[in-house]
Amino acid sequence: MIEIKSLSKAFRLTKQHRRELGKSFKDKKTIQAVNDISFTCKPGQIFGLIGPNGAGKTTTLRMVATMLKPTKGSIIVCGYDTVHHNQQVRKQIGFMTGQTALYDRLTPNEMVQYMAELHGMNKEKFLKRREKLFDILDMHDFSNRRIARLSTGMKQKTSIARTIIHDPEVMVFDEPTSGLDVMSSRAIMNLIRSCKDDGKTVLFSTHRMGEINQVCDDLAIIYKGKLFFNGSLEQFKSEMTQPTFEDEFVFRVEEN
Amino acid sequence: MKIWIIFKKELKDILRDRRTIMMMIIFPLLIAPAIITGVSKVQMMQMKKAQEKKLKLHFIGKEYAPNLFQEFVSSERVVMIPRIQKDSIQHYIQEEFIDAVIEVSSHYSLALGQNRKASIKLYYKGSDSMGITRKRVEQIVERRERIIISERMEKLNLDLDIVDAFEVERIDVSSSQEKIGKAAGGFLPYIFIIFGFMGAMYPGLDLGAGEKERGTLETILSSPASRFDIVMGKFLVVLTAAITTSFIAIGGLYLAVQQFPDIPVEILQVIQDVLSLKVFLMIVGLVVPVSAFFSAIILSLSIYAKSFKEAQSIVAPLNIIIIFPAIIGTIPGIELNHITALIPVLNVSLAAKDVVAGIVDPILMAEVYGSLFLLAGLSIWFCVNRFNREETIFRN
Repeated sequence: MIEIKSLSKAFRLTKQHRRELGKSFKDKKTIQAVNDISFTCKPGQIFGLIGPNGAGKTTTLRMVATMLKPTKGSIIVCGYDTVHHNQQVRKQIGFMTGQTALYDRLTPNEMVQYMAELHGMNKEKFLKRREKLFDILDMHDFSNRRIARLSTGMKQKTSIARTIIHDPEVMVFDEPTSGLDVMSSRAIMNLIRSCKDDGKTVLFSTHRMGEINQVCDDLAIIYKGKLFFNGSLEQFKSEMTQPTFEDEFVFRVEEN
Repeated sequence: MKIWIIFKKELKDILRDRRTIMMMIIFPLLIAPAIITGVSKVQMMQMKKAQEKKLKLHFIGKEYAPNLFQEFVSSERVVMIPRIQKDSIQHYIQEEFIDAVIEVSSHYSLALGQNRKASIKLYYKGSDSMGITRKRVEQIVERRERIIISERMEKLNLDLDIVDAFEVERIDVSSSQEKIGKAAGGFLPYIFIIFGFMGAMYPGLDLGAGEKERGTLETILSSPASRFDIVMGKFLVVLTAAITTSFIAIGGLYLAVQQFPDIPVEILQVIQDVLSLKVFLMIVGLVVPVSAFFSAIILSLSIYAKSFKEAQSIVAPLNIIIIFPAIIGTIPGIELNHITALIPVLNVSLAAKDVVAGIVDPILMAEVYGSLFLLAGLSIWFCVNRFNREETIFRN
C-alpha cells in the first residue's frame, strides 16, 4: 500500500537555472516540481501515473523510493513513513526505471547477489529465490557472463531479476519501457501484470496512454506538478469526451 | 551496516577495470624504477661522453704564453684548432664548431714576470654538457698555474705550504641515516603523495561521476543501504586504491635502488636500517590520513560532477595543488616546525623526511598526525554531507 497525502516538492533554483528558465523565473528562488498531490495505490492493483515529460512523475516516484525528501506532505509505504523510516521503506520496495543501468563489470549472478545482500536476505532464501527467478526468466545460460557483454534482452532480464530478488511488497516503475524495443517492453509489461497477480502494490509511471489502458486499475494524470484526474480506469473511460485515450489525455493537458 | 557489502562489490568492480589496474599497480610499479634508472643512465652517459670527448680548442695569443699553450697541446683528448677569425669565435662556440677559446693578451708575460695576476679569457658554452668543457679547460689552466706558483715560491725561498693559512678538518656528526634521510628523504614522501593522489583519482572518478553517468546510482540509492553506508563503502575502496598505489610505488622504488650495481654497501645498510618496522609504521601513519584526505576530496568532487568528463576537469588541476607543497617539502632547509606541521601535504613531506632521517620530535609529529587525522575526518564528513544533498546527487 502506498498512501500519498498533500505531497509537494520544490527545488532550489541556482543562478544558472534561473538564466536557463528565462524571465518568468528571474526573481524565483524555487521551482515547484510537485504541488499538493494525493493518491493511494492499493495492494493487488496497478496504479498508473501519467503525464508528459517534466510533469513531476519522476520526482514523485523518487520521493516514494526515498531518494528525495518531500517539501510538504507525506508518503506512507506499507505503514512506514518515507522520511522517518526510509530504510524500512526501501526494504519493501523494488524500484526500476527505463534509465536504470546495471554494473557492466559484474555478472548477472553477482548483480543479483549484491542486491540480495543489501536487502539483508539470508543465503538459503536467496539461493531459492534466485533459482526460481533464473528459471522463470531463462537466465541460467548467461548468469556468469559479464553484463557488458550481454544483449539488451539479457540485460533487461537481469534488471528485472535484481529488482524483484528480495520479493518486495511494493513495485515502483518509472517509465520502465522508455527506449526499449517491442520485445523488451512486452517483458516489462508482463512483469508488471505478474506483480499484480502476486498481490503486490504497483505504482507505474508512463507518458504512453496505451500502456495505462493495457494494465492499470487506477490512474492519475499529472501536469506541471498538479493532479487533475485521480480515479479508476473505468471512471476515466466513462468521463471521456474524446474518441481515443491519447486524444483525451492531450485534451485534458491542454485544458489545464 | 552495509559498508562491507558495498566495499566488496566496489572493489571487485574497479579491479575488473583494466585502466584501474594500469594506474594502481602497473604504472606505479614501473614508473619509479623507469624514471630513476632512465634519468641516471642518461645522465651518466652524457657525463661520460663529455669527459671522453676530444675538446676542440683555439688559443689566441700563443706567442705570449708558449708554456700555457704547450700545456694544452700536451693534454689528452684535446685538439687545437689553428687560425680562426677572432670576431667569429663566439659564433663558432654557439654553433658548436669549437668547444672553447682561450685568449691571453700581450701583457701576459709581463704580468707574470712582475709576480702579478695574468688575465686569461675563456669563451665557452655554459649550457652545454653540464659545465664539463669549462671544468676540463680550467683543470689544464690550473696545472700551469700550480707550476708558476711553485716557481714563484721557490724564487722567494718560501715553502709552498705557506699559501694556505688554515687546514680545516671536517667532522660530520650526523649519522649516515640522517645524511641519506635529508638528501633523499624528501623524495620518498614526494613519491607517496603523488602516487597516493594518482591511485585515488581513477577509482574516485569512477565510483562517483562514473556511477552517475552509467545510471546505476538510482539502483543503489533505492536499496536499503543508507547514504552513509554507500559513501563509506566507496570511500574505503578509493582509500584502499590510494594506499596500495603508494606502497606499490615505494616498493618499485626500493627494487629499483637495489638493482643499481654501484651503490656502496654502507648506503644499502642505511636503507635496511630505514626500513625498520618502526619507520614503516610511522610512514603508514602518514600515508593513511593523507590518502584518506585525497580520497574523500576526490570522491566529493566526483559525486558533485554531472559526468566523468566534468569530474576529470575538476580533479585534474588538483594535481598541481598537491604537487606544489610536496615539492616545497623537498627543498633543503625547510624544516618541520609548529607552522609547517599544520600545512596539509607539506607536513607529510617534511615529517616523512624526518622519519627517514631518524630525527623525530614527538610534539611536532603529534601535531602532524593530529592535523592530518582531523583533516581526513573533516573531508570524509564533507563527502558524506555532499552525498546526502539532493542537489548534488541529482544535479543533472
